[in-house]
Amino acid sequence: MLPLAYLAVRSFERGGGVVWDVLARTRTAELALRSLSLAVTVTAACLVLGVLSAWLVVRSDLPGRRVLGVLLVLPLAVPSYVAGFTWISVVPDLSGFAGAFVVLTLVSYPYVLLPVSAALRTADPAVEEVARSLGRTSRQVFFSVTLRQIRPAALAGGLLVALYVLSDFGAVSLMRYEAFTLGIYTSYRATFDRTPAAILGLVLVLLAIALTLGERRARGLVAHRGRRRPLTVPLGRARVPAFSGTLVLIVLTLGVPVISLVWWLIAGTSTFSVTDVLATTGNTVAVSAFGALLTLALALPVGILAARYQGRLARGVELASFAGHALPGITVGLALVFFGIRFAPALYQTTPMLAFAYAVLFLPLAVGAVRTGVAHAPPVLEDVSRSLGRGRWETGLRVTVPLAAPGILAGTALVFLTCAKELPATLMLRPTGMDTLATELWTRTEVAAYAAAAPYAAVLLVVAAIPAVVLDRFLSQTDAGGER
Amino acid sequence: MSGLTVKRLVAGYGGEPVLREVDFEVPEGGLLAVLGPSGCGKTTLLRVLAGFHPVASGEVWLGGRLLTSEVPPEKRGIGIVPQEGALFPHLSVAGNVGFGLSREERRGGRVEELLDLVGLSGFGARMPGQLSGGQAQRVALARALAPRPGVVLLDEPFSALDAGLREELRADVRATLRAAGATALLVTHDQEEALGIADLVAVLRDGVVAQLARPQTVYTSPADLGVALFVGEAMTFPGVARGGSVETPLGVLPTSGEGFGTVLLRPEQLVLGAHGVPSTVDDVLFHGHDATVLLRLPDGTSVRSRVQGKIPVRAGDSVSLSVRGSALFFGSTP
Amino acid sequence: MRRRALTVTMAVALLASTVTACSSANDLIIYSGRNEQLVGSLLDQLEDAVGIDVEVRYGGSGEMAAQLLEEGQGTEADVFFSQDAGALGAVGEQGRLAELPADVLSMVPSSYQARDKRWVATSARARVIAYDPRVVQESELPKTIEEVVDPKWKGKIGYAPTNGSWQAFVTSVRVLKGEDFAKEWLKKFAANEPKRYDNNISILKAVDEGQLPFGLINHYYWYASAAEKGGEANMKAKLHRVGGGDPLALVNVAGVGIIQGTNQSEAAQKAVRFLLSEQAQRHFADQTAEYPANPGVKSSKHQLPPITDLQAPDIDLSKLSSLQETVKLLQEAGLS
Repeated sequence: MLPLAYLAVRSFERGGGVVWDVLARTRTAELALRSLSLAVTVTAACLVLGVLSAWLVVRSDLPGRRVLGVLLVLPLAVPSYVAGFTWISVVPDLSGFAGAFVVLTLVSYPYVLLPVSAALRTADPAVEEVARSLGRTSRQVFFSVTLRQIRPAALAGGLLVALYVLSDFGAVSLMRYEAFTLGIYTSYRATFDRTPAAILGLVLVLLAIALTLGERRARGLVAHRGRRRPLTVPLGRARVPAFSGTLVLIVLTLGVPVISLVWWLIAGTSTFSVTDVLATTGNTVAVSAFGALLTLALALPVGILAARYQGRLARGVELASFAGHALPGITVGLALVFFGIRFAPALYQTTPMLAFAYAVLFLPLAVGAVRTGVAHAPPVLEDVSRSLGRGRWETGLRVTVPLAAPGILAGTALVFLTCAKELPATLMLRPTGMDTLATELWTRTEVAAYAAAAPYAAVLLVVAAIPAVVLDRFLSQTDAGGER
Repeated sequence: MSGLTVKRLVAGYGGEPVLREVDFEVPEGGLLAVLGPSGCGKTTLLRVLAGFHPVASGEVWLGGRLLTSEVPPEKRGIGIVPQEGALFPHLSVAGNVGFGLSREERRGGRVEELLDLVGLSGFGARMPGQLSGGQAQRVALARALAPRPGVVLLDEPFSALDAGLREELRADVRATLRAAGATALLVTHDQEEALGIADLVAVLRDGVVAQLARPQTVYTSPADLGVALFVGEAMTFPGVARGGSVETPLGVLPTSGEGFGTVLLRPEQLVLGAHGVPSTVDDVLFHGHDATVLLRLPDGTSVRSRVQGKIPVRAGDSVSLSVRGSALFFGSTP
Repeated sequence: MRRRALTVTMAVALLASTVTACSSANDLIIYSGRNEQLVGSLLDQLEDAVGIDVEVRYGGSGEMAAQLLEEGQGTEADVFFSQDAGALGAVGEQGRLAELPADVLSMVPSSYQARDKRWVATSARARVIAYDPRVVQESELPKTIEEVVDPKWKGKIGYAPTNGSWQAFVTSVRVLKGEDFAKEWLKKFAANEPKRYDNNISILKAVDEGQLPFGLINHYYWYASAAEKGGEANMKAKLHRVGGGDPLALVNVAGVGIIQGTNQSEAAQKAVRFLLSEQAQRHFADQTAEYPANPGVKSSKHQLPPITDLQAPDIDLSKLSSLQETVKLLQEAGLS
């Protein structure tokens, strides 16, 4: 809610006339349309890639699927601007809509992959079995039954992709695609005028609200989880193309940045210090973990509320948390600067404040994951807990949270990764003198010291791999435990 | 002054009342079965009692304490056993049973005591996924009983089980509740279950208690035709009762009541034998422990007889029918 | 259960260890929009000159300006060190920069400081033409922007459309020559089929390797490249300085200002003096090959003409930022 209040203050400080002037510019509509069309196409591509890869990793007999599953999540840790400039260095002609589309799709499809894999793991296999027994082929079952079961998860992921695309500045600016955020950044960076930036920010919020409401309409009901682990589907002759397809995806998403990094490391002249990299890594892990835990703490009540109660308050809170997600980091950063320095000067530019900024920025990631996780847990278990003398909060903690654990963990991991690569708010709110991997990466790439930047980018990928691996192990353990 | 008392209870969704003035009382240590067809308000009743649904008006008393809507579920001392048990899948059997207990109580052997009571000692370390349906149901009962609730609510606890298991478990549950000295309320749509397990049966219909009595009374002296039809298989004929008897296709039968109305006979009242009304056997439905013989009277009326033991007839046989005991009669005008 | 407790303990310990990096109000706090890679080692030396602890916060100049304005009176910043004049101008305009003392201002030519005395340039960078003398003589090269769009240069000019310095140059054309002229000029420029490059470095590389007759770049890339190749003599590409007040000779600056209301006024002034001192000015000239703003200082490494000889166009540098219109013009000309 803070960013929204801030935007309102800044938008209207010069009266409604200015607001109208900015909105009435044809360019505003033009930029909004360009951003929306990018968001729609990237989301569609991510849905296809994310659902297919999730299905292959969770449900098929794809060789090496556990390792592939971890690798497929890692692109989340690649900041869009890093993906952008590595792609440009490999394919110099890539630019404009196509360039932004490629880069954003490749860094954000895991937003769909993660929730869909969780849903696929917990979906009730009985429904698919019934469909098979009624004479459907496994392909027909996938389209008629499985897709329907994972629809809520896929749409939730798709919404995150769309909001991420709306808020992205790194990739679109590198690809020279004039998107809505460009208007906002130009306003801050070039004309130093915060009012149009804030007004444009409000437009983004409106777009985000529209998308969120649309997703809610399309979401439908969540199927309850099954008791058994779903069947593994043999790929048969499709094994080879499926495997190579997955490999190509990994090469495109991870290979391009990694190869560029290695190349720079070898070819470059600039140097780096191992102790600096280690210290920065420690900082990054600590603030990202702090941010992820704080986000989780805030997301739990919101997510549970959203899943269990259909009241207006619950919807409003959820909507507000999503609305902020379409805002570029600079806007949220400035909003927290605005409020932090006025109302919490003691915390200003401290780690807790930075963690709080992460929470505001990435709450929807965790809320969506908690919500789907909780929706999968049968509410009757909560009733039982209440009847056994455990209050609302204790029930949430002892029953709802453990039941929704796969979803919650996925959400936390997602937030952790996203915090680790966050740049604009980190630059503004970090304690003076504290560096994270993202800020060090930025400092070096800005002056084209790519060789010096490479180790930071590489460590960022390694740090990102940790939650991805933990998540994978946790999920496969719960699978084993649930088997009869 | 303990036990569960419900007085003029009204509850519903929006403006639509589902429970309209429900009254009943379960004495301490007693087991009341609330019997009713789906949609009669059974589930709403359970949710109201457990504190998950607000009371529109009326009172719920438990052990001399008034449970208003403000008393949250966790402060009521009411245990629930949901359909299919609903065990916490992330906790072991012992974890499930000990869920409602304090740390001291858990260590004090209460969990083992209860597992023993439901006949599952040694199952504490199992996960719910490793239990059969009946075992899961017993764990759910143990879990509900563990904190010594004032009353335990059971929601169609046997509906998901197969017939043989159901009967066995029913007896076990009854014995367990007795042994625990627990007051219990069970809701079901299965009259056999209700009549078989409970001390008292409340027939719930359209949000009101149509009859509250001992199982036998409900069966033999139903409050009205609806209750009579619901609590067991029956044949009905229109008839006029006069002076303690009524004429039916099966002859003149003794009954109570006067005037125009409906005569009701249970299949077990029809006896196949050498004397009585002649009839033809249409079919025989074998149930194992007994059988139903479908018969046709000379005037074309179809009737059924329940036969224990060896079945003396086959389809196509001619046989005489007589009626044991008196017929129930429900006058059609008040 | 025990494992979970352990994890939580570890997490808390880890967090506690990071919260300690906290600055105190007695330090001099510098918000630097200039990159740590370029000025980090210099600012490390600042502590000796100032006499108290110095904390530097790095970020983008534009974002930092917005942050400073948002922080208002509550800011902990004492000094704003910016990559460009626009950001300083924006902060100064809102009254968030203090007037600098006369002795500080006198160290720098008046055209390289704010008219309201609230900031001063620390170094300058100029637009130049990098050309390949094997293909074209310096005397033939354009001397004005009008000559750049001569059809004889068709397909022979390199430019970096995404680069901020190119956009600033176009803005200066608009400001100096008017919107209509700029529009017309861009149209002709586009018709001349200029070659697009990612950045200034790749333009210079193309010229040096004989693939491109000439390109529009910032001067310091040439010096950096020369240093990498072991000397200016090893550069095949040469620099052509247009001069004459033409937009082609645009000079932009990095600068510094003191935050209004700082409680470290004295230390802040010392910091600004240090940045204009011979030591710091030589650092800029040597490390980044920028023109020292203090005309008395010479690079010990590069052959840089003094800043006073640049014949830059007369333009208010803090107004060099109406980028939105520029971007629109570029887009219309198909050059974005």
